[in-house]
Amino acid sequence: MGSHQPPQPWFRVGTLLSEKRSGVLMICSFLLPILIYSFVAYCPIFWGHAYELTIAARPDDKVEFGATYTQGFSMEEDEFTRFQKAIRDDNEKLTALYQQGDEADFGMSPRAARSHNKRLLREFEPVLSRNGLFDISVKEEMETKPYYQLLYGAAYDTWGEIATGKEQLQKGSLSEENREIIKKNWALLSSVSETYDSGKLYSKPIYKLIPQGNKQVARASWFPAPHQIIRRGWEDLTGKSELGDLNVPTRYLQSLKIVFFGFFVACLIGLPLALLAGTFSFFSRLIEPFTDFFRYMPAPAFSTILVVIFDIYDQPKIALVVLGTLPHLILMVANTTRMVDQPLLDAAQTLGARRGTLISKVIVPGILPHLYNDLRILLGWAWTWLVIAELIGAKSGLTEIIDTQGRRFHFDHVYPVILLIGITGFVTDQILASFRTVLFPYAASEKKGILSFAFAMVHKLFKSKKATS
Amino acid sequence: MKLTQHLMMGLAALVFAGSASAAKLKVAYSDWPGWVAWEIGIKKGWFKEAGVDIEFVWMDYVASMDAYGAGKLDGVCMTNGDALVTGDAGKPSVGIIINDYSNGNDMLIATKDIPNVKALKGKKIGLEEGFVPHLITLKALEVNGMSESDIEIINTPTDKTPQVLKSGAVSAICAWQPNSGAALKEVPGSKAIFTSADAPGLIYDVLFVGPKTLKRDRADWVKVAKVWYKIVAYLKDEDNIEEALEILAGRVKVKADEYEPFLDGTYILSPAEVKEVWKKNDGLKSIYGSTKISNEFNVKYGVYKKSLQIENYLDPSITMDALK
Repeated sequence: MGSHQPPQPWFRVGTLLSEKRSGVLMICSFLLPILIYSFVAYCPIFWGHAYELTIAARPDDKVEFGATYTQGFSMEEDEFTRFQKAIRDDNEKLTALYQQGDEADFGMSPRAARSHNKRLLREFEPVLSRNGLFDISVKEEMETKPYYQLLYGAAYDTWGEIATGKEQLQKGSLSEENREIIKKNWALLSSVSETYDSGKLYSKPIYKLIPQGNKQVARASWFPAPHQIIRRGWEDLTGKSELGDLNVPTRYLQSLKIVFFGFFVACLIGLPLALLAGTFSFFSRLIEPFTDFFRYMPAPAFSTILVVIFDIYDQPKIALVVLGTLPHLILMVANTTRMVDQPLLDAAQTLGARRGTLISKVIVPGILPHLYNDLRILLGWAWTWLVIAELIGAKSGLTEIIDTQGRRFHFDHVYPVILLIGITGFVTDQILASFRTVLFPYAASEKKGILSFAFAMVHKLFKSKKATS
Repeated sequence: MKLTQHLMMGLAALVFAGSASAAKLKVAYSDWPGWVAWEIGIKKGWFKEAGVDIEFVWMDYVASMDAYGAGKLDGVCMTNGDALVTGDAGKPSVGIIINDYSNGNDMLIATKDIPNVKALKGKKIGLEEGFVPHLITLKALEVNGMSESDIEIINTPTDKTPQVLKSGAVSAICAWQPNSGAALKEVPGSKAIFTSADAPGLIYDVLFVGPKTLKRDRADWVKVAKVWYKIVAYLKDEDNIEEALEILAGRVKVKADEYEPFLDGTYILSPAEVKEVWKKNDGLKSIYGSTKISNEFNVKYGVYKKSLQIENYLDPSITMDALK
């Protein structure tokens, strides 16, 4: 405070920035990509418009409309118009059939018609939920059958109230056209029963509601908006996903297990070999050339063989992480081992240290800070194998979500999982990096990570508080 | 000494970690709607009730056949045609339970500008070579007086076909549900120009088991067949539809309403119907006739070289015992 030094320029060759400035830049390094992504996602000039379905329907024409569109799907304008027209046509055909009287052939058995009608009631759920007339969260505490009885009942009653003009839904949730259709439907349904009764359901098909949608900015499915990613991520993590429970926490643990076991086994095998190779030229020549060759062979190419040897569960996956990490570990650690100061070795030998002692008392302690760093980097390496590993045999862990939902273009479910993996790897690395300064205070530290930066800040704050008190 | 002992024990623990399954029989099932139906028996605990120690492993279709080929499974859900391909590759199997025949869920899907199969001449088609989609595509071509030389096949894993069609790299793809549905949804204007409903009985979906386990665990497989027909009865009862959809959709992780049409595209065979299908006849109404046609197709188009002894791949006796 009170110092009148001229401010240091931000760009200076070969000089470190002040801690405060590094901190600001570090935050920017994260903010920038997020801002760019958000800008593209929210800026309408990059995207067209489309209708996000609030009421979906199923046209009879299965050739033109082979897919099933559900609530929330985004449809381009001309597609949406075609979709609406198809349903109007279906309704017209139905009207014509009803005009034929008792002779009419509806093309479905009474039983199929009842199940058709039930589906239409079921598809009304989003409208009910939006108007607070039905709470889907009761599903968690209920058996499936009673839950649906409740849902059908709520839809049935609401249709009755709409038809008699008692129920006023929120503006925009139901078009005039659909209101008329509901009136027609109610006339049919109430001819059998005024309240929902699965045994007394109208046994001819009722009219379909015309699809409705809100015109919205239509992002590509692989470019969901940040708020959508966050919302889906939260729903998926807490088991409230629209796709049923995705078991994210369990899968997360499975994935962690693969990475850490793989890494651990690689260390168990690799470290002794690397120490030997780094210490004795004999082992170096014996081990390193083949390892060097082996690391160029793509590990995933062995996946079928791994299934043959290790079955289809976790083992082949762990084995792949080992295969992918081990050669690098051996070469890297052997190199590090060779970095021990020769004078230290000479001195120890002069003092009569034998080979075993030399390794355990001189070499290992000598390289420990570097070894620690190597292993940290190699753990990051192990993470990169995760997704490929989990595809082997029976798909497992977080990869199953990434793979299965990715192929259906549900990227709003995929990105949270990818982010989870990224955050885990990053945070682990940062924690390990900050431990390094604690474990080896004598070793020079290179870059400062976010966590060590945060520690330093807290430490400073603490110190300044002490000083003032 | 102690340390090394601990290390060895740790290593042993690692080796056995996750080897999990101690179940007597291990069967892989994948996302074909007819096989997803096994999930009902699993969720309801009917296998346990029937006293059979069996584990169903959820896998990708081709991965499950690979795992069967690697000798890691007792049984695998395959189509009758693919069982021949797997058998020719050195791992024969015997079909014991016919789940369904494909009735539209296998689709040849083309982009907007391709109105019919004939328009595919000279175009690229993304499909998984040597497996069901290949067979369907060849059938579609044959029906339209064309052959494989009229098109260019881009070998694509079935689960990756939607994104390949979307990329515009091909004019058509061939896939089954839920992959075909994803493609139809993601590529506006795309539609199915040929489906398995145009050739019902070309593809039967079957539980195939190893010849050894069939002999050794025969009684268990009969129990499995009994559970299957319990599942069939459950599915045929309209009152169970909501619950069934929840279970099935929950397995493949799609919305329940989105799953419903899959049921129409997969014709689950009732006990009476399946008895007819098991009869030795020519033509697609019999699994023997259907398999014979698959066999001829496979030889004709070089999927494998020598015609196979199809009788070795089918055994109706398990189903017949279960339905007694």
